[in-house]
Amino acid sequence: MSLEELLESGTVPAKGDITEEELVKLFRKFRGLQKKQERDQAFWAATNENLKIAYEKLDEKERELARAYAIIQDDLSVASKIQGALLPELSKKMASELELAVYHKQLAEVGGDYYDFFNTHSGSYAIGVFDISGHGVSAALVMTYLKAQFMTILENLDSPKEIVEWVNNTSYDFLKTVKKYATVNFIVMNTTALRYVSGGGFGLLLSGKSSTVFEKRDAFLGLRRRPFHEYELPFKKGDLLVMYTDGIVEAQNGKGEDYSVQRLNNLIIKNAKKPAKDILDLCVEDYTKFRNKDSDDITLLILRKKV
Amino acid sequence: MGKESKATELVVFGATIQGFAQACINLNIVAGAKAENLVEDIEVSGWYPFEKLREIERVVVEAYENSGPILERVGMEMMLGWYNYGPGKEIVKNGVGFLHFQTGSQGYASVVKGPENLVGSFSLEHLDEEGGKARIHSTTPFNKDMERGVIIGGMTAPEDLDYIDVKNEENPQIFEIEFA
Repeated sequence: MSLEELLESGTVPAKGDITEEELVKLFRKFRGLQKKQERDQAFWAATNENLKIAYEKLDEKERELARAYAIIQDDLSVASKIQGALLPELSKKMASELELAVYHKQLAEVGGDYYDFFNTHSGSYAIGVFDISGHGVSAALVMTYLKAQFMTILENLDSPKEIVEWVNNTSYDFLKTVKKYATVNFIVMNTTALRYVSGGGFGLLLSGKSSTVFEKRDAFLGLRRRPFHEYELPFKKGDLLVMYTDGIVEAQNGKGEDYSVQRLNNLIIKNAKKPAKDILDLCVEDYTKFRNKDSDDITLLILRKKV
Repeated sequence: MGKESKATELVVFGATIQGFAQACINLNIVAGAKAENLVEDIEVSGWYPFEKLREIERVVVEAYENSGPILERVGMEMMLGWYNYGPGKEIVKNGVGFLHFQTGSQGYASVVKGPENLVGSFSLEHLDEEGGKARIHSTTPFNKDMERGVIIGGMTAPEDLDYIDVKNEENPQIFEIEFA
């Protein structure tokens, strides 16, 4: 049996099974394997050492990331408080005349949904609901910009059309530059009526047994430099006004079905006699049961005229 | 950098750079985009400044605390590629044949050219086939750990030798070779 055959068979050779020449060859092979093993060992030791260093570097990077993340979280937490503080509360006078319930939920710490209450220069109440494109910090920054614009112009104008057009014209270049736009639902009310402009938002007015869905013929803020349309509706004691963004109605269930405007409006109409807060709770409960997960910022504002 | 060689600068054959880079990739020393960048724009038949090869060498040296055994393995892997997928089989018929190929620095001269003082040599100085001993003297600008791997890989590839050991600890430029 040759040396190769012996090695292949795995049988321990008996004395005389291998020649002296084969023994020498075996010795060389063994030394060759020893050398190879030494080289392999050195290679793997260097590789292992490198792996250890790589893990240490990775650990350090992880710690750096954690530190950076903590700083960002702190900043976002502050930003969230600032944004929350920028959202309005009804003035005492408004609260005495309007029963209000609001559900406002941002997808992240800060977001792009925004609502606000104002007084026009003639003393009328104005309410705006906006949805700035995108989410997060950039949308929140645009929100603060728009708030400042509205606050500025409300000192001089009274018509929702003129107010929204002015904000659109003055904000147009800025919004183009930052590649943002915003839906707008803006109303100004007096003792007997409300006037509204709607560019992308959702609005519903319930008066007695009749319901009116807001006309949505206009573009979002920052999309076009075009005139906006203004509509007037009677708004008397007991009437219910609902304004909302797309966060609820475009949310989907597990089957991929939208919650829908129709479902929300029907629920509100069915419960229109209830207090605003109860209607709001019913809407949120129904939405929460329906939706798979929140996928957008949400603003739902319900108010009833008390006087 | 161009395919044309310039006598005034040290240049290395594209296939050598490709071989070196491919060995690094095969051994997972570099991966991903970094690996792709190593061989980007390198044509096997072109000639490139020696610095290009140095760049790749630096990738290994900077990544490893102890780069010696790694560069040795890269040299071995490079020669296995040269033998199995390149012209090696045609040039070298057995392990000792690889040593013969280094006579008068001919093997080295086929992959590096430029001013004589910069090119150096990689030359078989002594060969005792019966006794299984040889010596190569290298004055090339290549990394000496890698060159040790090149000798081991070049002699191992034909698979006819049972034992190969190459030492250059005392003088990095002198490779004392034992084989059987």
